[in-house]
Amino acid sequence: MSVYKGLGGLVSVSLVLAVLAHFNTSLGVAPYLLVLATSVLFWVIQATSWNILSGYAGYFSFGQAAYVGVGAYAVAVLTGRHGVSYPVSIIVGGLLGALLALITGAIAFRLGSLRGEIFALLTLAVPFILAAFVRINRDIDGGLGTTLPLPSFPDWIGDFQHLIFLLMLAVATLAVGTALAVQGSRLGRGLSAIHDNEDAAEVLGVPTFRYKMIAIVLSGALGGLGGALLAVRNGAVQPELVFTLTVPLFVIVMAVLGGRRHWAGPVVGAAFVTVLQDELAAQKLDQWGNIILGAVLVVFVVAAPDGLFGRLRTRPWITVGVFVPVLAGLVLSGQYTELDALLYAMVAAIVVAVVYDRLRPVTAPRRTTPLRPAPAGAEPAIRTAPPPLSAPQPDSGRDLVAVAGLIRDFGGVRAVDDVSLSVSPGEIVGLVGPNGSGKTTLVNLLSGALAPSAGTIAIDGRATVGLAPHKVAHTGVARTYQIPKPFASMTVLDNVAMAVMFGRTGASLPQARLAAADHLATVRLGHLADQLPAALNLHQRQLLEMARAIAAEPVVLLLDEALAGLNPAEIDDAVAVIRRIHEGGISIIIVEHLLRVLNQLATRIVVLDRGVLIADGEPATVLNDPAVVRAYLGRQRA
Amino acid sequence: MTAVQAALSGALIGGLYALMAAGLSVTWGTLRVINLAHFGLILVGAYLSYQLTSAWGIDPMLTLLVSAPALFVVGAALQWAYERFNIVEFNSLLVSFGLLMIIIEVSTQVWTADFRHIDAAANPYGTSALHLGPVALPVSRLVALGFALLLIGGGHLVLERTFAGRGLRAFAQDRTVAASFGIDHRRLGLVVGGLAGVSAAVAGMVFALGNTIAPAHAYEWFGTVFAVVILGGIGNLLGSLFAGLGVGAFSAVVAVLWDPSYEPFVLFLAIILALVLRPQGLFTRRGAVA
Repeated sequence: MSVYKGLGGLVSVSLVLAVLAHFNTSLGVAPYLLVLATSVLFWVIQATSWNILSGYAGYFSFGQAAYVGVGAYAVAVLTGRHGVSYPVSIIVGGLLGALLALITGAIAFRLGSLRGEIFALLTLAVPFILAAFVRINRDIDGGLGTTLPLPSFPDWIGDFQHLIFLLMLAVATLAVGTALAVQGSRLGRGLSAIHDNEDAAEVLGVPTFRYKMIAIVLSGALGGLGGALLAVRNGAVQPELVFTLTVPLFVIVMAVLGGRRHWAGPVVGAAFVTVLQDELAAQKLDQWGNIILGAVLVVFVVAAPDGLFGRLRTRPWITVGVFVPVLAGLVLSGQYTELDALLYAMVAAIVVAVVYDRLRPVTAPRRTTPLRPAPAGAEPAIRTAPPPLSAPQPDSGRDLVAVAGLIRDFGGVRAVDDVSLSVSPGEIVGLVGPNGSGKTTLVNLLSGALAPSAGTIAIDGRATVGLAPHKVAHTGVARTYQIPKPFASMTVLDNVAMAVMFGRTGASLPQARLAAADHLATVRLGHLADQLPAALNLHQRQLLEMARAIAAEPVVLLLDEALAGLNPAEIDDAVAVIRRIHEGGISIIIVEHLLRVLNQLATRIVVLDRGVLIADGEPATVLNDPAVVRAYLGRQRA
Repeated sequence: MTAVQAALSGALIGGLYALMAAGLSVTWGTLRVINLAHFGLILVGAYLSYQLTSAWGIDPMLTLLVSAPALFVVGAALQWAYERFNIVEFNSLLVSFGLLMIIIEVSTQVWTADFRHIDAAANPYGTSALHLGPVALPVSRLVALGFALLLIGGGHLVLERTFAGRGLRAFAQDRTVAASFGIDHRRLGLVVGGLAGVSAAVAGMVFALGNTIAPAHAYEWFGTVFAVVILGGIGNLLGSLFAGLGVGAFSAVVAVLWDPSYEPFVLFLAIILALVLRPQGLFTRRGAVA
């Protein structure tokens, strides 16, 4: 679905809703439904706001109440106490939400070792701090909360209920539209890659810090706007009511229930949870509300982590097949109101959607698309193979990689000790050394994942020390990981397309997919293009790593133990792929233990021992060097 | 002088924070379960002490004879469920948030949202204080510190000295390798979960000695206790003891010298600074966290 079509559909739905609401009395829609719909819209805003960062990028926040509170207080203070007009104070509410998000993100995402759990706990603290701030500064709300004047508005809108419904609808449309647009954009793909594997995303050229900041600021602005409207709706603001843990509980349950990877998930979740809460209140069972929500959260995380919307998309018929008959039956029986019938039908559909997998006999793992059989022997000609560049010859005139005096300390351990090294175009440099000799550290320094303690690195003439890894990637370095780090939620083709999209030249997704197919053909994975990485074996995953790395169009490719754990036939296969990559004009630095392989593959071998470069030269010469034999083989036999 | 008095009595409350943090820290560090439901167990522990003391008129400390085994079973059962459904890290945060909601709502229905406190007649520790020259130390807080030293010191010795403790630490570093060396992490996990439950029973009892109890308290503990866990270093018991004492003393001094309402501010700023400067925790030895 194209983004514009989606946005058009969304706006149409909103307009229809607006018209329906406007004529609610003449259409016979009960007024309380309008009130309920306004609540639903408020939660759609909040759940969607939460989902843009926490769902797409996977950084769970427990701090949604902070945005609600800041937005609500902007209105309470500006309009309630200083007489500023509502439109201004509502917009200020959104801006303050964005500002708060900016500060939170700037602190949290700068923490080098930030883990998702720590982020979650930090966000948990933010509403507490703000609530304390309001309680300390009594003059903010006058001590006992603030009441707001009734807004004035033109007569054609109807009554206050209509006004607030329209406002909520407008912001909800903005929120869902933003989520929809983000999902289909480069930003959305990047956030999805961050969710799956942040290190790999950064190394492929995704500006992870910037993307997370954009996501959190969008989230804050929408949350703040929603909070501002909540203040208008309630007509009063108190710290206990806005900075409450109910807000994160609700949005998390809504998004987990609805599904977190798609913009529609939180909408579905918000509608269901709000209607459920309303029904419980109507039955005088409010006290069960949080118990049920807690239970829903537990059950869904365990049994259906992809959420209701995820289920609906993979198996639409079973869900719809339960929902429609139950709804029709209940409505036709005449014993239930439409709302009750809707709720019960949704509950039935949810139960079936969750339970269905458990009841079904275990079959082969689900596939999003049918498995295409691998053509025996031949690789599928998807398009013409990349044009072979002039067969590269080692060319010592120019340094693609120039490393001088490189040092890296970990605490008291010097992992890389004064290493100087240069790589010319067309070389395949084998990097060998005993375990712990600093090979992987050197790779991490070259790719920018680690900063050196001293020394310089230049890639193709550009100094890279101090650049973020995605910038280093754009100078022309790509790497693979010893343990493959594919993006689990994307197909093999899209894994590679990510690297094209965020590579040096950049491309739109459709273009990137075309190019990705070529790169998959280079590593002979074309027949698995539509699979998810989970369906691949270790060898295929390592080939995928290589395809992803070359898709970034590097000048130098770092292969970190790309042959580890393979059987002899697979090794021969991988060696052929590496040769083909090299023939495509990419210089290679390969970390490898198998000297037999390096002997035939490498044009040069560099030996590290305890961080020190002890040999550098022709494979035959280096491998017979007594110092190398002592360091490398002698220790193993000792 | 007020600052010294505040620092000392604050450090004693810190014993309570450390008690609350210890169970959370150990399950997070060794089993990778971030168990928000632990706050619910502490709450239940506090209510059990209150209930049993009120019903039988016994010394509050004796209520541990009932609440500690009960929460051991609950803690072990929780861990069994986490293990059974392979709920770790992020998912454990979500699932246990749901469980915490359930525990708090059920507590509200059993004990209402009103403040409850152990009857002064049945509580010999509630109001008495130990006078050391000009400094007065409330007995209930001394009890907190005593239990914290006992439990955390004991737990630390077990982790450092015994085979099971070494197994757990090996398991925390690398599950697969530890399993291949014959470490039965399931059984160890159940014991650790159970002991975390016991620590919740003790923390709840200690809390009930000196405070009124209400369900909303479970939320209020969040900030400080997580601060202690993170500052102490995740999974580091001695670290959480020192961090607990430090955080307690620090916030008490801020409250006295400045204004009690600034306490959460200063505390969280301190945590953020600490995370920026020493993300592995203040008291973690280099390389001790995998």
